[in-house]
Amino acid sequence: MDFLTVFTQPQLLLLVGLGTFAGIYVGAIPGLSVTMAVSILISFTFSWDVYPAISLMIGIYMGGVYGGSRTAILLNIPGAPSAIATALDGYPMARRGEAGTAIGVTTVMSFIGGFVGIAVLALAAPLVSDFALTFQPRDYMLLAVLGILLVGSLSQGSLVKGIFAGALGIAIGAVGRDPLTFTERFTFDISLMQGGISFIAVMIGMFGVSEALIQLHHVDKAAVRQKITRIVPSLATVRKHLPLSLQTSTIGVAIGALPGTGGDIAALMAYDHAKRVTKNPERPFGDGAMEGLVAPETANNAAVGGAFIPMMTLGIPGDAVTAIMIGALFIHGLNPGPMLMIDKPDMFWFIVGALVTANFFILIFGLTGIRLFTKLVEMPRSVLIPLIMLLSIVGAYAVNNSITDVYWMLGFGLFGYFMRHYGYPLGPVILGVILSRLLDDNWRRAIISEREDFWRFMEGVLTSPLSLVLFVSVVLIFVSQTPVWTWGKALLSGRPHKVSGNEQHD
Amino acid sequence: MKKFVLGAVSALVFATTAAVAADYPSKEIQGIIQWGAGGSTDTVMRSVTPHAEEALGGTIVMQNMTGGVGAIALNNVAGQPADGYTLLMGAENPLLYKVMGLGDKDYSDFIPVTLLARGTPILVANKDAPFDDYDGMMAYIKENPGELRVGATGPGGLPSVITAMMNTVEGELDVISVPYDGDGPALTALQGGAIDVMPAVLGAAIEGIRAGNMKPLAIFDVAKNEKLPDVPLVTSFNDGYNTYLPWGPFFGVFVVKGTPDDVVAKLSKAYAEGAKNEEFVELMDNRGFKMMGISGAEAEDFLAKWQQGTTWLLQDAGLTKASPEEFGIKRPSE
Repeated sequence: MDFLTVFTQPQLLLLVGLGTFAGIYVGAIPGLSVTMAVSILISFTFSWDVYPAISLMIGIYMGGVYGGSRTAILLNIPGAPSAIATALDGYPMARRGEAGTAIGVTTVMSFIGGFVGIAVLALAAPLVSDFALTFQPRDYMLLAVLGILLVGSLSQGSLVKGIFAGALGIAIGAVGRDPLTFTERFTFDISLMQGGISFIAVMIGMFGVSEALIQLHHVDKAAVRQKITRIVPSLATVRKHLPLSLQTSTIGVAIGALPGTGGDIAALMAYDHAKRVTKNPERPFGDGAMEGLVAPETANNAAVGGAFIPMMTLGIPGDAVTAIMIGALFIHGLNPGPMLMIDKPDMFWFIVGALVTANFFILIFGLTGIRLFTKLVEMPRSVLIPLIMLLSIVGAYAVNNSITDVYWMLGFGLFGYFMRHYGYPLGPVILGVILSRLLDDNWRRAIISEREDFWRFMEGVLTSPLSLVLFVSVVLIFVSQTPVWTWGKALLSGRPHKVSGNEQHD
Repeated sequence: MKKFVLGAVSALVFATTAAVAADYPSKEIQGIIQWGAGGSTDTVMRSVTPHAEEALGGTIVMQNMTGGVGAIALNNVAGQPADGYTLLMGAENPLLYKVMGLGDKDYSDFIPVTLLARGTPILVANKDAPFDDYDGMMAYIKENPGELRVGATGPGGLPSVITAMMNTVEGELDVISVPYDGDGPALTALQGGAIDVMPAVLGAAIEGIRAGNMKPLAIFDVAKNEKLPDVPLVTSFNDGYNTYLPWGPFFGVFVVKGTPDDVVAKLSKAYAEGAKNEEFVELMDNRGFKMMGISGAEAEDFLAKWQQGTTWLLQDAGLTKASPEEFGIKRPSE
């Protein structure tokens, strides 16, 4: 049984463990990304056999996706884009001194999510990949619109400010040479802007540097003491959140399996889903709701298994990391593609086995060493702030080895500081940047495919079952779930509706 | 902090300038890959370079520098000292930068260390497409003008050149060109039915063809392909293609013009040696690439011819931003 290969060979077991451990730290440091780590590993493991090389990569991948939540909870700086939603409720928990609890829940939920993803990969990979293939450009576009509607749940206060932030993100994402026609957009004839603005640089600046600047306000205050009495969540807690975690895991697998969307979008969508289905959270969302941790963390780890689905069945990467792993398989003399499952089924089962192992390691490493991690937040701010700045700069530089990215990062850091100061949410900016290309490219592909005839496009939307479902969801969510509706109704009935604009910021 | 980073960067630059050619390589060599991790350029370079390192007796540290269709990496390497400590690992695209308005530098600012291999274009269709071969597709286009969706990857990409070739040989084809980010995403869309036909590099499509997920229509080459011996050549349908074929994307390693001859020679020798490695040859063969392994004047000549043929083809198809003539690229004499 190839599934058991990992468990029977101590060397492979060790490599998966090592990878997972390293991945947690790589993922936790903003700017050091899993994508980067795995591409470095390609050269590093060049002369190795394929199994050990893949073991290490899978460990890093699983660990890294999980690790992003650490700094999100402790410092309000997501270590990776897929942990942005985690910060929304994780950080408020840490500020109450419940970092230990938050990390414990995150770990267990990541494990559950990861397991659901792997189970779907193992049991239904061909089915899911067939489904993923049926997504047409118009469906991706509708999915992006659905994503943009998340602005409502990420705004935490003023929706108008949220929409502004989201639109800004979309504009940032549009900078550079348009990938479809190579026309320059918002580049002002500056050659450095042709490549666009690195999305990671924006994220690090907006979350990392702006957080450091905000913390400067309280540089003289003592840090919150963390109670680390209960790390492993009680069975009752897990059971209580199990239905939600299964739902959000499903979102994670599906979004992860789609080529072109990954854990970052999945986590945000899951967060929105949790917000809508949770009727009575123990605490309001954005204030340390447990559900706000459960949803994104299950979804982004489930997306890992999801991303492997098109990779293993069709040789199509589900995200940036699996794209690199495909390259790695080539280098090791395999031919990833639809024939891989038939020619080399052992590889498939080996990968499933390695993923399962990595998932268990997450549980082990995740629930130990928390005390050390929480010390991070208890550090004096005069040490912590320079440390955040240092990591932000190194991280921004490391993405593309480009000093320009560091300038962008610092610029957006300053900008993000003022945005927060004036009560503008940062989440929607990142959401906009993530979705900008997805929306723009696919809308154009969709309309070009219909000979630029809008009615033919609508005909396609209304006659395809998948598109119809997505379209109806967009309309329903837009109409019923966003405050625009009540706000509009109030406006119509002549009663000026006050949008609460005084949200707290630290 | 800024000072520190700037200091580190400038220290690196000075250190690079100070190297001497005689004991080359006396320190780490930087290899800048024009395309992202996991792509075909990346895979090829990461596979051959360790073998070249062995032959060279030095270390080559590779990193990906993406953006601007590879122009960011090219401009970066062009700005480095000509001492052989920075290599540009790229594909064919830079030869089109000038006419496409993507930059004012191309491989004429570089010396080819080696041109490793070349890919073969193939035309593939969705497995449910209402035709089975090239002639059938042409008939379908004539009967259903403006209905067939052909995948593209932006102006200057392989599909744009093949489409330009088809338009030149067959007369203007009334099809819809749907742009994607690369041949990977486009071939995914082809399997999902979002597009009907896609000109792609053989290596990217071969596994899909083997699995029956897409059907091959014609190979754009003058000789039958060993990997797909049953797929007809496009020249068997219309011999007008003979004028333009063989044509294909290629991979190469370059150094800035002005690099000492003995350094270039050392590098060329190392890569020629590395490219002979069995595993590498097998990898290239599996992906359907033809080994070239040329350097020096032969490589320069190949680059010049490739640029002439392709830029004028694109110019005649109306896809360029500036005429090749403006850059002194002569129309290929037939």
